[in-house]
This record gives sequence, C-alpha cells and structure tokens, in this order.
Amino acid sequence: MTDSTLPKSSNEKARSNILQEVIGKNQFDDRIDTQSDLNTWEALRVIGRSLHQISSERSLFSAKVVLELALIIPGLYLPWLGKIVIDNVIQQRPFNTTEIEFPPFMQPVLTLVQDQDPLQIMLSISIIFIVGMVFLGMRTYGLGAGLHEGQDAATQAENQISASYSSGSGFLGLAAFMVGVRLTQRLANRLRTRLFERLSRMPMAVLDDQRIGDSIYRVMYDVPMAPDLFLQLTIVPFLMMLNAGINLYVLQYSYGDVSPELIWIAWATVPVAFLVTFPFSGAIRRTSQNKRAAGSATTNAMEESVSNVAAVQSLGATGEQSSRFAARSEQSFLRERYFIAVVIVCSCIFAAVSGLAGIYVMILVSDRIIDGVMSPGDYAALIGIFWSIAMPAAYLGAYWIKIQDVIAAVRRVFFFMDFESEEDFNQDGDECTSIEREITFEDIGYTYPNGTQALVDINLSFKVGDLVAIVGPTGSGKTTLAYLIPSVLQPTAGRVLIDGRDASEFNLQSIRQQVSYVLQEHAFLSATIRHNLLLANPNATETQMFEALEIAGCMEFVKDLPNGLDTRLGRGGDTLSVGQQQRLSIARGLIRDSQVLILDEPTAALDPKTEQSLLRSLQEAAGSRLVVVIAHRLSTIRHADQIVFIEEGEIRETGTHDELVVRPNGSYREYVELQNASV
Amino acid sequence: MFGLALKTWPYMRPLLAHLLFLLGLAGVGMVSGMAGIFVGADLFLNKVLIGEKLQPLQATVLFLGDEYVTTDPQQLGESLDLDKDRVFRDKSEEAESVELDPEEQLTPDQRRTVRDRFILWGIAGGVFVTLLGFGSWYYGTWVWQSVNQNLRVAMIERAESLSLRYHDHARVGDAIFRVYQDSSMIVNLIQGAILSPAMTAVSLLFTFAIVIAFDPLIAGFALIAAVPFVLLLMKSTKRIQRRSLANRVANSNLTSHIQESFTAVKVLRVNGSEPQIHEQFDRDSKRALDAAYHLRLDMVLLTLTIAFIGGVLVIGSEYVLAHWVIAERETFLGAAVAGLIGFAIWNLGGFEIARGRIESLAGSARYLLGIWMRMQDLFIALRRAFDLLDTPLEVKETSNPVTYPDPIQTVAWNRVWFSYTSEARPVFTNLSLTAEAGTVTAIVGATGSGKSTMMSLLLRLFDPDAGEVTLNGIDLRELRLADVRQNCAIALQKNVLFNETVANNIAFGAGNVSRTEIERAAEIANADSFVRALEKGYDTELGERGGKLSAGQRQRISIARAVVRNTPILILDEPTASLDARNEQRVLTNLADWGTDKIILLITHRMSTIQNADQIALLEQGQIVETGTYSELTTKPEGRFAAFAQSELLGESEGAAS
Repeated sequence: MTDSTLPKSSNEKARSNILQEVIGKNQFDDRIDTQSDLNTWEALRVIGRSLHQISSERSLFSAKVVLELALIIPGLYLPWLGKIVIDNVIQQRPFNTTEIEFPPFMQPVLTLVQDQDPLQIMLSISIIFIVGMVFLGMRTYGLGAGLHEGQDAATQAENQISASYSSGSGFLGLAAFMVGVRLTQRLANRLRTRLFERLSRMPMAVLDDQRIGDSIYRVMYDVPMAPDLFLQLTIVPFLMMLNAGINLYVLQYSYGDVSPELIWIAWATVPVAFLVTFPFSGAIRRTSQNKRAAGSATTNAMEESVSNVAAVQSLGATGEQSSRFAARSEQSFLRERYFIAVVIVCSCIFAAVSGLAGIYVMILVSDRIIDGVMSPGDYAALIGIFWSIAMPAAYLGAYWIKIQDVIAAVRRVFFFMDFESEEDFNQDGDECTSIEREITFEDIGYTYPNGTQALVDINLSFKVGDLVAIVGPTGSGKTTLAYLIPSVLQPTAGRVLIDGRDASEFNLQSIRQQVSYVLQEHAFLSATIRHNLLLANPNATETQMFEALEIAGCMEFVKDLPNGLDTRLGRGGDTLSVGQQQRLSIARGLIRDSQVLILDEPTAALDPKTEQSLLRSLQEAAGSRLVVVIAHRLSTIRHADQIVFIEEGEIRETGTHDELVVRPNGSYREYVELQNASV
Repeated sequence: MFGLALKTWPYMRPLLAHLLFLLGLAGVGMVSGMAGIFVGADLFLNKVLIGEKLQPLQATVLFLGDEYVTTDPQQLGESLDLDKDRVFRDKSEEAESVELDPEEQLTPDQRRTVRDRFILWGIAGGVFVTLLGFGSWYYGTWVWQSVNQNLRVAMIERAESLSLRYHDHARVGDAIFRVYQDSSMIVNLIQGAILSPAMTAVSLLFTFAIVIAFDPLIAGFALIAAVPFVLLLMKSTKRIQRRSLANRVANSNLTSHIQESFTAVKVLRVNGSEPQIHEQFDRDSKRALDAAYHLRLDMVLLTLTIAFIGGVLVIGSEYVLAHWVIAERETFLGAAVAGLIGFAIWNLGGFEIARGRIESLAGSARYLLGIWMRMQDLFIALRRAFDLLDTPLEVKETSNPVTYPDPIQTVAWNRVWFSYTSEARPVFTNLSLTAEAGTVTAIVGATGSGKSTMMSLLLRLFDPDAGEVTLNGIDLRELRLADVRQNCAIALQKNVLFNETVANNIAFGAGNVSRTEIERAAEIANADSFVRALEKGYDTELGERGGKLSAGQRQRISIARAVVRNTPILILDEPTASLDARNEQRVLTNLADWGTDKIILLITHRMSTIQNADQIALLEQGQIVETGTYSELTTKPEGRFAAFAQSELLGESEGAAS
C-alpha cells in the first residue's frame, strides 16, 4: 500500500526500483560522512555509548526517577478513595460489608474515616483530594508542554531538545517536569557543545569538505534526538514496566488470580512483535539517515545562497538559487515521507500482530461467558487486565524498531565526535612558550589527502629578526608552506623545527599562540569591530587596537564610523567595502604581540600609500620578530632579508633581492623582469 | 492574528482540493470509527455476551436469518444512541440486565455465530480504518509538506531578492531559522488555530449545557471558576508570546553563531581563537535552552494553576453532590425530562454522570488552555516568517518594462546621488560617467571611495537616491531586473565560489552553457591549465566556499565565470589583485582580445593594469573628478589623477628605493 502512495515519478519505475528509491542508500551532499549505514552490532554500540552519556547527569537523572516514583502514589490511592465515596458516602453503606479488602496502605485513611458519618467522610476525602492535588497532582493529569511541530526532522528538533513529561501534576509533578526538561537539555547541551568543538577543530586538510549547512544541521537538529535515546533506554521503559506492575497488582488484588493465560498471551506479543518488525530496522535506519542527509543538503543550499547573496544577486542567479533550494527542500520532504512509509508498513504488521492477539483473547473470554463460566461483567475486567499488560508488552516488542530513527540521528552526531580532530594531536605536548631563534623546515613534503603533492623536499630556515618573503606563481604552494609554521597543517614528510625542537612535540594551541597569521581570505563575525579584533588577542588594550588599525590603514574609515570600535559589522563584515575588510583583517593579525607574523598577500588590497606604511612598520617590527610575507608585489618583496622563490611545490631559489636579481636565467630574475615590464 | 492567518492563504490555495479531501477523509474516519464502536459495542456486549437478539439491520449486515432478530417492539424501538450508555454501564448493572425473556435470547451457538461474523466484520473494519488512518497520515504529511514547501520557497525567493541593505544587517542563521522553524508552523494553522479550538469550545459549551440541566448551582460554580481562568488567560497571553519570541530569537542567534563560526573557521584556526568561540557557543547554547526552559516553565505553571482551579471545582462539586444524593434532592430538570435523562432525583447514576461532566468541563478548559498557549507560539512563528516575506523590496520590478536594448552602446551614471543609510555620509554626490561600447573604462580611487558601489548601482543591487543609471539612455528602472543582471557579467572582488564542480561554478548564473564555452572562458581567464591539472579536471568539487583553491586560482575562476556569460557589459572588480605579474598580463591581454565589442569596466589600484585603458575615471569624494586616457591625465598640469598616480607610483618606488 505504500507503493501506491508514492509520488507519480516513482510509479513509472519498476517495483524493485521503487524499493531502491525508498530504502536505497542515497548520496546527497556529504563528502566525509559517506558510509552512513549501521549494522545491528553498530546500532547496539550507539546505544551503549548513549547510555554512557547519562552517567554525566547522574543527580538530575536520579531526581527524575525518585520524583516519578513518588508520582505513583496518587494512582495507588485514587481507586480506593473513589470506592469509599461511592460505597460509603453515596450509597451510605457501613465499612467492612463488601468482600473486597482494602490494601494495607489505605489503613491510615480508614482509621480516619471509619467512625465518621457519610458527610464527614466526604469532607475528609475532599480534603485529602485537595491536599493530594496540590502536592501530588491527585485527580489531575500529567504535565507536558510540547509545542507544535513541522513536517520534517529539523522542525521537530525544538520540541525534542526540551522534551519532558511528568506522569502527575501538583508541585511534585511540576518539579518532575522541570527536572525532566533540564535533564534533556543538559544531555543535549553537553553533546552539542562537544560536537561543535570537534567540528571546529577538524583538520585543515578536510575542512573544505565539511559543509557549513551540514554542521548546522547536525548540531541543531541531530543532537536533540540524543537525549530521547538516553531516556527511551532508561526512564521510559522503567516507568512503563512499573505502571504495568502496579496495574497488575491492583487488578489482581480486586479480582483475584484470574486467567493467567491472558497474561501469557499478552507477553507472547513481545517476541512476536520484535521478530516481525526486526527485519525493518535496517530500512528505518537507512530512511532516517537519508531524510537527515537530505535535510543537511537543503540547509547547505540555503546557507550558501543566503550567505553569498551579494554574489548571487550580482550574477543574476537568484532564480537559479531559489530553484536549487526548492528542489532540495522538496527532496528532504520526500525523504521524510519515505521514512514515514517504512514506519507505516512496520506499524501495519505490528497492528496485525496485536490485533490478532486481541481477537484471540476476545474469543477466549466470550466462549467462557457464553458457556456461563463467567458473567458478562467479568469481560470488561479481564479485557482491562489484558490490555494493561499487553500495552507495555507491545511497547517492549516495538522497542527496538522505535529507537532506530533516533539511533540514526545519534550516529550522525557520534560520527563527527569520533572524526579526526586537532584535539587528538599531541594534546599533552609541551607548551611552546616562545620562539626565540628560528623555524627550520627539514626535508618537508606535503601531500593533500586527495593525493595532490603540494610541497616537495623543502629545506629552509627562517630566523627570528628577519623579514622573509615567499614568492612564486599562484598555486605554487606558498600558502601551504606558510600553514606549516603554526601547525595548521602537519607535514606529511619531514619535520618542522621550532628553535631546534620538533614542532610535533608541542601542544598545537601553544604554537599558535606564538604566531600571528593574516589569511588571504578574510572572515568576520557579525559582531563589533572590537569583538573581531579581540578574537586574535583577548587581552588587547584599546591602545594596541588603535595602533594596529593605524598601521593597517584602517583609521581613515574607522574614525568615520558612528560607534568607532563598537560599530557592529554586518553579516560577514559586509557593511565594509572589500578593501576595508582586508585592511581590518591585517589589523587583526597585527594586534597579537607574537614572535612570528605571517601575512598572506597582505598588500593585494592596499593602495601603495597604505602598503608602504604597513611595510615600514613590518620592517621595524622585524628586528625582534620573524615576519613572513607571501607577496607578488616587488615593492613588498625587495626589502626582505630572505626571498624564497617557490614553484610547483619546490624551492627554486633563496637569497636576497640583490643576490637573486643578478643570477643569470634565475627564476626570480625572470619573475622580476616580468613585473617591471608590466609597470 | 486573523490577518496573519489570512496571509497564509496563497500558500494553501494551490492545495485547496487536497486540504478539503483530507478534511473529508478525517470526517469519514471519525464517523465510521464512531459508528463501528457503537454498533460493535452493542453487538458484542449486548448480543454476544448477554445474548439479546439482534436488530433487523444488524442481522442483515451479518448475513443472519430472521431467527436471530428480535420481535420485541421495545427492543426494536431502541435506537443506537442508547446503546452508547449500555457500553459504559457498570458491571453490576449489566449483570442485572441478564434476566431476560428466554424467547428473546440467542442460543449459545447463535451467540458464537454472531461473534464469529462480528469478528470477521471487525477484522475488515479494522483493516479499513488502519489503512485509512495510515493512508491519510502519509497523504496528510504530503499535503502539509507541500504547503510548507510553498511558504519556504517564497521565503527564500524573498530573501534572495531583498536588497543588500537588509542582508548586511541580517544574520544567515536567522534566515535559516525563519525558513525552517518559523515557516513550519503553517502546517498546524488549521488544526491548531481553527479546528481544535473550535471543537473544544463547542464541546465545552455542550458539556456546560448538560451541567445546567443537572443543576444551575453547579453550573454557577463553573462560571465562577471560569472568571480566574479567563483573567489568567488574558493576563498571560502577552507573557507567553514574549517567551515564545525570546525562545525563537535565542535559537536563531545560536544558529547564526554556528554558521558564522564555520564560515570563519580558518581565521579562528590560525588565530587560535577556538576556545573563545567554544565559550561563546556554550553561552549561546545555554541561553537558547534557558529561553526554551522559561517558555515551558510558564506554560506548565499556567497549566498547573488552571488544573488547580479545575480540581477545586470538581472536588467541591462532588462534595455538594454527595450532600444532595444523601438528601435525595431533585435534579434541576427533574421530573420534566425524566424520560430523557432518567435522573429525577440525585442518585448514584446522577452523581457519576454529573461528576463526569464537571470533570470533562475542567479537562476541556485545560485542553483549551494548552491549545491557546501553543497557538501563541504558532502565531509568533508565523509573524516571524511573514516579517521576512513582508519586508519591502527596495529594488522593485517595473510594471511595464521596456525591451532590453540591443546592441548596448553606452552605460552612463547621470548625476547620481547615493548613500547606504540616511545617517551615513553619502557615497556619491552628483556622480556622472559614461562608458561606451568597444572601450575599456578603468575606475580608480582610494579604498572605500565607492568604486564597487558604482557597479552595484549598474547591477541594480541598489537604486540611486537621485539621478539615474542608464543603458543607451534608458533608465535601468524601466528595464526588467532579470535582463539588467543577466546582461552584465561581473568578476567579483570577493571571489565567491560555491561547493560545486569547477564547471558549475563557471556556469553559475549563466543558464545553459556548453562545456566547450566553459573551457574557452577558462582559457581566457588563464585558468584552463590549472583546472585540467586538478584531480577530476572540470568536474572537481571545490570544497566549501571554494576553499580548495588558492586565492589566485579562485580569482581566475571568477573571471572565467564573468567571461562565459558573454554579455555586452563586463565588470572586473579588482580582477588581478591576487594574481602574480605573469598571470595578470596573460589574463588582461586575453580579455582585451576577447572583449573588443563590449563595454569593459575595470576597477583597480594597480597602475600597471590601467595603462592601456581607453578611459580612466578617478573617483574622489563621491564624484568622478577626472576622465581621460593615461597619457592625457598624467600630462595634465595640476591634474588630480596625476597626483593620485604620483602617490601610487611614489609609494611603489619609495618602497623599492628604501
């Protein structure tokens, strides 16, 4: 039946293709997380890890369990109190005239009301009700505060991350509810903070493969499913079984040991339901992965086009981008429906199993009634017993299949928690406290993960106190070389030595504290200028900031800004012109008082005047620091103490301008001649 | 709220037939389910378990003969709706009703037959209802997803068309949040804001009427209890709305924070700023969770208060009712309607039923409260969604556009005034410039002088505050926006690339272009050789934001992208800033050879790039202060350009000399 509800496009295909389309593995936007399938064993491992998470919130968890246990009390007392109202108040019967014994826990109440007349009893019981209501939520329902949700996984996440329910109300129920919200939230928060950290520390070499929209999707929309898994694994089944036990107890207490076979039938649904739904667990996980991957792809499309809206508009591509988004959003909704389709097939089978069990019980009981063994009145009681056991049993039976969707989401979270991260590199390495003498490249080679060889056999030494220029055609490996200095990339061959010690012995973060790096591309947070500058050096004083802004030629526009340093930059810094952004980016690099300063094409965006002032201050600074500049412009290069000319990943020449420019047929000389010719 | 609900109409309209059908399905499901339960309960409880004879219709449906059918006229007159009460009768009562005339009883075998046929029907009905239920689940999902899809796409289209003035101050995460979370609430509009409240209100009134019938005094209690309920509801509505808004804002900020952090991840990396960003994430994340927590706390507190009021009403009424039962007081309608209700005097049955009604009254009130609170959140969300859709477009499409001129002869800025915001210093004060086909116009000027803004006006990203930008003398505002943008090609200063293949990046926004054209454009931009050296050549994916290429390579792709569009106007904004001299020369020569009939506008700092331009325009203080060729301008005595070039060249040579 699911086939007929699929969209028309699929109808044209053969049946097997439809199956492939619905539960087949699909490739959306992922370039890193491409093996999304889980087998049963891996699913179990996800469960194991999830359970482990809960140990971090032990106190909240225990509080929730205790509160929920306490909330069972009203349910225990309520039927008996109701019975007193009916029998001893309304019907005005004296106590102890019925066969049914009150359970021991009712004794205090009985002592209280035993000798009262009906109206007094009613008063006592009303008072018990009121007090019970205020504190334990007696006679009122449980508490929940779910909000409306949308029709795809992303829009259901908001409810998930603060999901809670308490089985009673009153002050106790309120406490149970709020503890529940906090428990869910804390578990999710811990997880998403971790995930965010891991994602932000992915190795530079694979960073470009991880899409921003996907990161958003995983942090915002996959993580919230995780607490659900923890709770589904712990509190929910616990309470469910507890309730089942209590129901059984109450019913047996009132009706005696009736029809044990009913209880067996009820429990028999557990293995049957499990066995018939188990084959679907793979399909559920697969469709759930697919819907989430499709959601990520939609987020990517949206993020990319909104983030680059200026380019999209300039290139007249707004229509193209909207239809790209529309197609992906449609696809993500479709994937959501495929998931639902599998759930429906599963539920149908499940419904058939429990339906058959119900019918069997119906026949069994009605036969006895027709035979006159039981009275018609017993039917309701027996069926009541049956369902009160069959419901939790059915829950158990469907348990495995129910958590598959969540497992799929949690796998997506764990995937990037486990993925390579810079945190894993020599965390315990020594602190690099200063760089005093030199940085040496020893037989360095660098090959990108895709096999592109960017650097070969690099042997160099940069001395603190020097101004070094790295020169070469575009794409020759200049930036890759510079990235090796602050260990943004780790060499795939050879070693980088800091003052003679292998850089890999140092803790990464501490090396970067010693190096300031101005990137070719500039990026800003949409925060104030001050905040963006503080990113590079949280301790920078205002004087230092103005100094850096002055050198980078930013003062001429910063002083015109209405709020000066506290002007908020628009999205990605776009309220400034591109040239201004580049200067601000340089200022940010200068604000760190570090031994090593690397500037990647700093002067491309500068007019010659600003360039000169920057160069002059760089030269002044170079006395006590190492300044590495990647540049094309001769004006920048020629003052360098050392020029490294690099081409196709190899060093062609090193030396000063004066040395290199006289070398006949030298690569640098040729390069300089070309520049001169063009001026 | 009403206006907001109306605004959703255009997105629901295309699915009107489906929505109505869905509603019909739900109706059919509900009616057949109810009928099944009533008839089924009667058949099973009264006929099978107790052994009464069947109603004629029941026998027909079960394909049973006359021997099963009752002859008792009273039984025949008994309509189905009374069977409902029988279902809820308590055990002891049912036991009593077994004493019936044996003539009017089914034999045990007959009862088994009835039961078996009933079960067959039950299976058929169960299968039908299950399939109907699941079918309409899938179908309903599709219908509502489609409505949501319409709204989402409209929002994205709007976001893409809004002027950069809007975008410069809006955060990307906010757009994501609005398009996902806020827009998704449209799927709950009908159910959550119309059907559920209406149905609950009706059932509330109906229950209330029954309570009045039992006793107006109790109804009076209920009315008194309704006063604090309504007051609370009125008082808390604004508060819930505020909480809901705060929750949505906090979450959209968190989304923005993630987006911005990952966009700037390389900068954060080299600066070692991750700890700061993580700290901020933790803060923003907790803030978002707190907002969600407080919203829920308020909702639950309100629910609890209402539950208390309802509970006191129920318990208090029970107390009073118990007195009445003991005093054997007459019910309100009493003997007058004894035939209908059967509780002339307060007794156990009356007590149970009245108590049940009052409980359901309290329950409905609480349910209504839940609906009301969720509705506030729903409307806050929709308002945020429609805020985006309602943001006026600054650059408006004209209603009767002029045909795009062909061939283009001139582009002109005529006495243009422009400023980004009303407070800000104007960028242009009476700026004029004309560029002609077949020429290269170089625009020079200091950083931040407005060179790129001139191009933004030419692309109609903004409209001038005064003056006009014209093509062949036609104001851009009289042309179709799509024509204006599609007939300009720009190599942007910020080399924005997308996470797509090289070929798709070059063809971006250009519509259908062949692989040959793409390769030709790449050759002109001097990109062909490095592209071919990539892993998969033109089919290599460039990574997020094109991050796998060096800046110089990105710049050349960006130039190829402009070239492939082959438009009459070509804008190169700092095209060669990241190129080395050799590449710059090649690209510029190629472009000059290729674009002989085009209007080429070139923005640059580099003197080397502009020497061969047909016209150089110097932008200073919001105006074009000088135009002319390089030699004209440099030889002009006291010329502004001469001074500018002097300082530029001086800068360069000074750097070279010192």
